[in-house]
Amino acid sequence: MLSRAAERVYWTGRYLERAENTARLVQQYSQLLLDLPEEVGVEWTELIRIVGAAEDFRQSGFESTETDVLRFLLAESDSASSLTFSLRMARENVRNTRDLLPQESWENINELYHDARSRLTLAARGENRFEVLSECVARCQQINGVLTGTMSHLSPYHFLTLGQALERADMTSRIIDVVTAAYTNHDERLVRRYGSTLWTNVLKSVSAFQMYRQYCQPQVEGRKVIAFVLNDTAFPRSICWCVNSIEKSVAELPRGDALEEPLKKLRAQLDSPVDADSSAETISELMDTLQKRLGDVHFAIADNWFLPG
Amino acid sequence: MTLTPDTYDAKDFYDELVAADGSARSHARQMVDYFSGMDPQELIDRQHAVNRTIEDMGISFTIYSEGDNIDRAWPLDVIPRAMPAAEWDRIEEGLKQRVHALNLFIDDLYNDRKILKDKVVPAEIIDSSKNYLEPCKGFSPRHGVWAHICGTDLVRGDDGTVYVLEDNLRVPSGVSYMLENRNVIKRVFPRLFKNHRIRPVSEYPTELSRMLESIAPVDDTPTIAVLTPGIYNSAYFEHSYLARTIGAELVEGGDLVVEDDHVFLRSIDGLTPVHTIYRRIDDVFIDPEAFRPDSLLGIPGIIRAWRAGNVALANAPGSGVADDKVVYSYVPEIIDYYLGEEPIIPNVPTWRCSDPQHLEHALKNLPDLVVKPANESGGYGMLVGPHASRSEHEQFRRLLKADPRNYIAQPTLKLSTAPTLCGDALEPRHLDLRPFILSGKDQSVTAGGLTRVAMRKGSLVVNSSQGGGSKDTWIVEEAS
Repeated sequence: MLSRAAERVYWTGRYLERAENTARLVQQYSQLLLDLPEEVGVEWTELIRIVGAAEDFRQSGFESTETDVLRFLLAESDSASSLTFSLRMARENVRNTRDLLPQESWENINELYHDARSRLTLAARGENRFEVLSECVARCQQINGVLTGTMSHLSPYHFLTLGQALERADMTSRIIDVVTAAYTNHDERLVRRYGSTLWTNVLKSVSAFQMYRQYCQPQVEGRKVIAFVLNDTAFPRSICWCVNSIEKSVAELPRGDALEEPLKKLRAQLDSPVDADSSAETISELMDTLQKRLGDVHFAIADNWFLPG
Repeated sequence: MTLTPDTYDAKDFYDELVAADGSARSHARQMVDYFSGMDPQELIDRQHAVNRTIEDMGISFTIYSEGDNIDRAWPLDVIPRAMPAAEWDRIEEGLKQRVHALNLFIDDLYNDRKILKDKVVPAEIIDSSKNYLEPCKGFSPRHGVWAHICGTDLVRGDDGTVYVLEDNLRVPSGVSYMLENRNVIKRVFPRLFKNHRIRPVSEYPTELSRMLESIAPVDDTPTIAVLTPGIYNSAYFEHSYLARTIGAELVEGGDLVVEDDHVFLRSIDGLTPVHTIYRRIDDVFIDPEAFRPDSLLGIPGIIRAWRAGNVALANAPGSGVADDKVVYSYVPEIIDYYLGEEPIIPNVPTWRCSDPQHLEHALKNLPDLVVKPANESGGYGMLVGPHASRSEHEQFRRLLKADPRNYIAQPTLKLSTAPTLCGDALEPRHLDLRPFILSGKDQSVTAGGLTRVAMRKGSLVVNSSQGGGSKDTWIVEEAS
């Protein structure tokens, strides 16, 4: 398999996952803000912090209003953090690797991109936001279904998996990071009252709410939530699950041993204990390092397979 | 649907299927009978079936329009074009002769320059050609072959003579459409094939990979790659099609790297050696080190690797020197010089504007002539005298006087026609034929080639980028 093709398939995985996560995250926040009184102080710009685009956002001259934040995250085609941008990049990468991917995946991503473009501009203003975002999530999942269900699970598939798993783990760690920070910065009385709403939002942002209540406990409790999305071995959107699938795919690829070191460090980071006593600072530090380790794995993948020689 | 003289009349043109008296030519008789027995609606339905099959199979070509590129379904006419096998055998021999001589010529130009020293071809024509490439001098590829894949355009005049119109020695395209045209027509008219003995065209991919292996620097299972400019190129469909059918890697410049004068592929297994590159990008974009330091395309050092004999390039860079339309006019002399033979297929009579007497003739007779620039392809930048306006004639007079070396003039040929479904009737349309000649250790020629049709009434322009269509091409064995 050509390095260039491997790189494109990898980015297809990343952008598809990023598109789905962005849609789900925005949708979840739109719901959350309806539940919270203003004085809790959860703002739309928190979304910008989650996707790590605070600097871009400021420079592009947008304001901290709902419409501007959502335009930036959904419709703005020049913003590398927007859903439209992710869909466009996913489409470009699929278009360039059509020989390797199932024909349907090209048709689906092409249609999704064209359909979503105009509707996302309206959704940013509030029109049919819920429906449009739900549809984006559903159609991304449909494409994932086509890829998982009709592609041979060989090298191209493993690169796709690497991209998806890294992106998913990265996004989850960012959500934990930002919510933990918000939690500690606010008035204790309000946090006590709305805490479970906030943590429920974390769970819903990664589609973990139902499984958490089924297999962890019915009450939503901050530390438990973190432990679940971080380390649950059976839930497919937990960071632990993502790291497992990265390790599995790496083992299937040629010359995978080059990733031994960065993967070991990532695993070690994940195993550092989070318990009831962990302070918000500790958790935030843990998440920062985790993101750095994920970044190191990304660079090791690129060095080893995308740019040999 | 009838092809009788009252409904179908090719007038004073030579028709490939129907003779002047309105009867079917003997090699086409069964086919003409078959279509004559079909009612018009059935034929139209079959054309729709052809179009649908082409869409379903994803056979497309790309055209540029207002900065955008658009994938269009490949246009294929429902009625095949047929030629008798006996005639084709002679043409095939002529094509092999021609390409053999051209390869000896190119090899000579880059080495001893004997033909120039003997003044058979004027040296200034070669030395002023932008396709005569300095970095290729003093080198000879394996088997002495430069133009490994040649697409030679043939046309038939009103007296039935087949001429060579031009040789495409750089990156000729169209062969994938020849293969797919046959696949489509076989699907839509299975019965027609049962009743004829038609030479198969499906050997081409095998012949191509055999040729590419024969020029590789290693004999034991060489690695072959098809080098494409990428998905935005108008012939990308063909690049990807050919790579798939011959089991080669489809690569872009960035996928290749040169180390110690060897070429490698960047793959997930690390750097893996490549032995033959079927390149579908132009000469000067192949190696910025040798040709264009400003170019972002290409693989730095690949020419060094080629000259060191570590990689084969098909076609060899510099082959385009024989693709020049002024050089074309010397091909009969070139065949005589190297092979001591008469050309089996004649050239179209050609006036070289670099010659003052020829230029004068061209200027005087411009409204009757076709004028072509020496180094364009795709039908661009040419004048068809009888179809042009007076101001276009004037414009070309100025162009010819300003840069005579860059132009040739030819009589406007009365190109042959074949019945073509236009709307709901069969009408004569002009066509040409592009066979593909492979040269490596051995030579081989496609059975027929790609027939291109000018779909507009009276038009002589067959290029798909300018509204041309195509036909499946049959070489028919006649029962003796």
